[in-house]
Amino acid sequence: MSPTTTPPLSLRGLGATVPDGREERVLFDGVDLDVAAGEVVVVTGPSGSGKSTLLAVAGLLRRPPTGEVVVAGQPTASLSRRGRTAVRRQQIGIVYQSANLLGPLTAREQLELAGRIRRMPRRQIGAEADRLLGDLALGDRSGQLPAELSGGERQRVGIARALMGDPSVLLADEPTASLDPALAGEVAELLATEARRRGVAALIVTHDDAPLRHADRHLHLVGGQLVDGTGVAS
Amino acid sequence: MFLAWRDLRRSWRRFVLVGAVVALVAVLSTVLAGLADGLVRDGTSGLRALPYTHLAMSPGSEAVFSRSTVDQQAATTFAEVPGAEASPVGVSFVNAAAVDGGPSLDLALFGVPPGSFLADRPDAQAALAGPPGLVLSSTFADEGVEVGDEYRLGGSDVTLPVLGFTVAGSYGHVPIAFTTLSTWQSVNYGNDPRGRVSAIALALPAGTDTAALAEATDTDIITKARSYDGSPGFTAETMTMTLIRGFLLVISALIVGAFFTVLAVQRTRQTGLLKAMGASDAYVLRDGVGQMAVVVVAATAVGTGVGAVMVALLDRTAAPVELSVGSIVGSAALLVATGVVGSLVSFRRITTVEPAVALGVEP
Ligand SMILES: Nc1ncnc2c1ncn2[C@@H]1O[C@H](COP(=O)(O)OP(=O)(O)OP(=O)(O)O)[C@@H](O)[C@H]1O
Ligand SMILES: [Mg+2]
Repeated sequence: MSPTTTPPLSLRGLGATVPDGREERVLFDGVDLDVAAGEVVVVTGPSGSGKSTLLAVAGLLRRPPTGEVVVAGQPTASLSRRGRTAVRRQQIGIVYQSANLLGPLTAREQLELAGRIRRMPRRQIGAEADRLLGDLALGDRSGQLPAELSGGERQRVGIARALMGDPSVLLADEPTASLDPALAGEVAELLATEARRRGVAALIVTHDDAPLRHADRHLHLVGGQLVDGTGVAS
Repeated sequence: MFLAWRDLRRSWRRFVLVGAVVALVAVLSTVLAGLADGLVRDGTSGLRALPYTHLAMSPGSEAVFSRSTVDQQAATTFAEVPGAEASPVGVSFVNAAAVDGGPSLDLALFGVPPGSFLADRPDAQAALAGPPGLVLSSTFADEGVEVGDEYRLGGSDVTLPVLGFTVAGSYGHVPIAFTTLSTWQSVNYGNDPRGRVSAIALALPAGTDTAALAEATDTDIITKARSYDGSPGFTAETMTMTLIRGFLLVISALIVGAFFTVLAVQRTRQTGLLKAMGASDAYVLRDGVGQMAVVVVAATAVGTGVGAVMVALLDRTAAPVELSVGSIVGSAALLVATGVVGSLVSFRRITTVEPAVALGVEP
């Protein structure tokens, strides 16, 4: 495989279980998925089907019991906790349902902190933060604390923060679920546009429609299998 | 510390309570440090003022004068050491009743022979060379005792006039008084002193082999600093103070630790988020413990400052306090150190957080 065709995110035979009483219940099994650079893949599925869990496994937040996640060509199954943290730091940005911003930090500081954690050169952090805030139309909100931002603005800050440090993979868990429909469409479009523009492999899980309209591919998680979602209402 | 500083600046109210507790502990620690130093000084100032370097006492007397009896002739043996000075000295507590019916005085009575190196002030030497009498701590002059007043020393028929006053000093919290060695002996042993004294005070040149000297004279030779330990109340006071201050440190560490534990639990999701972003355990731990360290340092600084002002303003005659920079800084440093250790105790509540909690998925 030449580097140009190596997908930034590749899930291979991935499975996950959750404890269910005394036994382990299989959430999904044998999930295979490649997300190419600049591609936006949207996964829908009923509540409780395991979408968040899929994202946690894909984002190396949780070790899969079976299968493997390959990030930018690097297999991760044999990595230590520390090793997975390092891959996360360099390659993966995550957008959360409720933005998950840090209360004491302004919009710009959310991005600065991400830059520091991702060990970007100190000199680039400020400029990169300003550029991202500008791209997401937050230039005039950069000094605001989360409590002073609207829901849509918060989510845009969350997206900008996930993009700090040029990750190759962008994961989003219900990024539009807590927004009203008009805003949801806007945020979903921004997310897809930015991912494509930057050549980031984007995997979005959702149970609302907004992200679907901007998807390159639609998959459906049902009965523990990831199937083609075309034609499936979310 | 990027997050910690901004959190402190924007939600400082959350830290006010724990900061106040640490600051109060710091105030108490500082005042107690001042009191401990003051008590030690007050209990031993009489000894400190005397120009000796060592004491030769009875074996096993543990620096307590009342347990020690040596022959005053031993002084001549010590005086043979090149460069050394030696003087017999008697030390005992007596009550002095005013002959004219005025208030009686408690005295730590020091008996010193005329010409002793212990009496290094000319007026003290003159007083010891003349007819028998008492040279009192100058604290008595402030209380209205006058030269010429006569006192009968308890337990004996000896009546002595006040000859003058010397430096303010006390021993075992009792003001000192000087008299000649022979007078001291007649106060303590009546007509049959047989050369008995409490100790031989020594001024030994540096590097003297005190062990050999002690062996040769069958005495214990103790340093000046060690001689304070025998001062009545010294050990009890020092131990009580150490115990109280130790408890304060433990209390402060527990409070900081408890506060930090609650904080760590409240921040579980935030910790998971930082880890999901790629922060190492060390990074998150530094941020949290560093923040507590800032709070503890700030609170300790404020508390220590307030305590130092209180010590400075305290009436010295009402409470024996002393402001010593060394011990105040030492007690503050100890408070900071125990606070940081207190917060480190629950470090596992931070390191064990799984990054998956950021997604609301239990690992
Ligand atoms: N620690 C756990 N113990 C038991 N069951 C769990 C645990 N963690 C998750 N589950 C279960 O696993 C299933 C999948 O959870 P997950 O959060 O991945 O679903 P989801 O598709 O994201 O749902 P939603 O759309 O509601 O967010 C759920 O049924 C949940 O109850
Ligand atoms: Mg979910």
